[in-house]
Amino acid sequence: MRDVFIEIWESIRRNKLRTCLTGFAVSWGIFMLIVLLGAGNGLMNAFLVGGEGISTNVMQVGGGWTSKPYDGLKEGRIIELDERDVALTKSEVFANHVDQVISTVSTSATVIYGKKHFSGSIEGSFPARRQMDKIEILYGRFLNEKDIKENRKVVVLPEDQAEILLGNDIRDTGARLPGMKLNSNSGKKVRPQDILGKYIRIGDFSYRVVGITKTNDASNSNTVYVPYTTLRVIYGKGRTVDDITFTFHGLDSEKENEAFEEQYRSAVNLRHRAAPDDRRALWIWNRFTQNLQMNRGRNILNTALWIIGLFTLLGGIVGVSNIMLITVKERTHEFGIRKAIGASPWDIVKLILAESVTITAVFGYIGMFFGMIACQILDKTVGQSSVSIMDEQIAMFVNPTVGLDVALEATLVLIIAGTIAGFFPARKAAQVRPIEALRAE
Amino acid sequence: MLIELKDVNKTYNNGQPLHVLKGIDLSIDSGEFVSIMGASGSGKSTLLNILGILDNYDSGEYYIDGKLIKGLSERQAADYRNRMIGFIFQSYNLIGFKTAVENVELPLFYQGIARKKRHQMAMEYLDRLGLADWAKHYPNEMSGGQKQRVAIARALITSPRIVLADEPTGALDSKTSVEIMELLQQLNREDRMTIIVVTHESGVANATNKIIHIKDGIIGQIEDNRQHHASVFGTSTVMK
Repeated sequence: MRDVFIEIWESIRRNKLRTCLTGFAVSWGIFMLIVLLGAGNGLMNAFLVGGEGISTNVMQVGGGWTSKPYDGLKEGRIIELDERDVALTKSEVFANHVDQVISTVSTSATVIYGKKHFSGSIEGSFPARRQMDKIEILYGRFLNEKDIKENRKVVVLPEDQAEILLGNDIRDTGARLPGMKLNSNSGKKVRPQDILGKYIRIGDFSYRVVGITKTNDASNSNTVYVPYTTLRVIYGKGRTVDDITFTFHGLDSEKENEAFEEQYRSAVNLRHRAAPDDRRALWIWNRFTQNLQMNRGRNILNTALWIIGLFTLLGGIVGVSNIMLITVKERTHEFGIRKAIGASPWDIVKLILAESVTITAVFGYIGMFFGMIACQILDKTVGQSSVSIMDEQIAMFVNPTVGLDVALEATLVLIIAGTIAGFFPARKAAQVRPIEALRAE
Repeated sequence: MLIELKDVNKTYNNGQPLHVLKGIDLSIDSGEFVSIMGASGSGKSTLLNILGILDNYDSGEYYIDGKLIKGLSERQAADYRNRMIGFIFQSYNLIGFKTAVENVELPLFYQGIARKKRHQMAMEYLDRLGLADWAKHYPNEMSGGQKQRVAIARALITSPRIVLADEPTGALDSKTSVEIMELLQQLNREDRMTIIVVTHESGVANATNKIIHIKDGIIGQIEDNRQHHASVFGTSTVMK
């Protein structure tokens, strides 16, 4: 093996410039491939940032407007879910699939603490919400059963909102994303956990802060949580609920999910005297199928990027192939000599293939290296910024880098590419007849 | 007999068929120092190619040491060339980007002999030919005579059964030509090496012990030249 590499080195050393020029095309191809895949990953990661923190076996349903007349009633009626729908969801009818059911009521209100305040949506929720949305508690606790039972006036705040109430107004200091340090207002900053146990005002009542959740810009988790029962009583919501959320099991394919949704929709719709197949009367957000679609989208994007990257690389491969053909042409006499003194065709093929693979791999790795660096730069610049849409921070790129798996795949691609590039030149070299050696130069 | 050719025919089919070798019968014994002489177009190069297993023939039989050389695969032919035949070419055919010692090593490389061993062997052969000091030099740093001696070392290193020399002095001046022919004579005499020289120079042929004349693809006269008086200019004349 060492001898082969010495031979390759000797050959490449004699043609530095043209080897480098050709190699550049390969480097460029791999560079583009890595950067494209990195950017694609960043884009998908930005979409999925919220999704990653959410259980996929969760469905959320909410009332809508009927879109067709049914049972003597006109279309355009508002469907309001109520506790009987919750009971229906919990009932034997769906027991095969449905596990845990919670309902929520929400309102929007102004939250006040001292001189600071903000307006936001307040959700009356259940302890199970934490599991379903994978809410991360930074300090204190989430709602518990006792809060629900005793209609306690307790509240769980998102970190950002707590900061606002404490006067660490992060919104003014610009965009902030996970991984970035908080910009502190030198010295007078109060730690968010200091608000634990304090009383804040929501509407006309005081609530004790019991917990602080992690803010996640990508998902809408800057919701303020209070016990379901408390909110229902205070705001006189009666029996209506805003949405029903439940976990399920045993629905593993898209088809099974659709069938279940049909069944569920018709049951709920009929209860409200709406057409059983009226998709607008009842909105169903199925995170499982959503996730499936998201994954499919990710795969399509990934495949498309690979194809573009590989086609860019193709230019490099053709270049290497070309240069190897020239090399073979130049070395015809030498190969003749080698064959005359005992080199088999395979010995010659080996020489050319190894040279082709070496050129492709070496320059490919250079390209990969710079591609990785470019991804890191992307991560440090675009990856840290976000755009503000409707007062919410949306990240465009999150972690736009490629993993070890892509590096390994790219290595494989390079070796295959080098072999393909060397194939025809090597075949040509193997066909050199030993009589060439006798021909004077 | 080391080499036996029986009714060997060869026709080239480039456009118009050209019958180059018209039934060659030839026997060369082990330890002989033979020259094949002929004008250009006589078929001597074709004969050399066939003897060196560089080319195949159409009909007849060619034996080296009793082994029929016919219809070999390329790999087999390469192996036979490597082990049985040492080539010396008119234009030396050293590989320009390899040093003298690396050139001499090359046949052993294709035998799969370990790096150290083949280097040591190559150095021995170079030393024998008085080129040990030039081992690390590249061919373009050496004189024609030196290059040809490196080529001879390369031909000898596998201890071949036959050494085939194609116009070995063709690119050398007369003084060096004499030296090279004396070297070949010495190898034949001392190592009992079978050497076949193809040439059109009578002076070169005169240095050999047997002269085979070939003309129009047919073996003509076979001269016993152990007295070295074949040259029209006599024994004392230079080759050129």
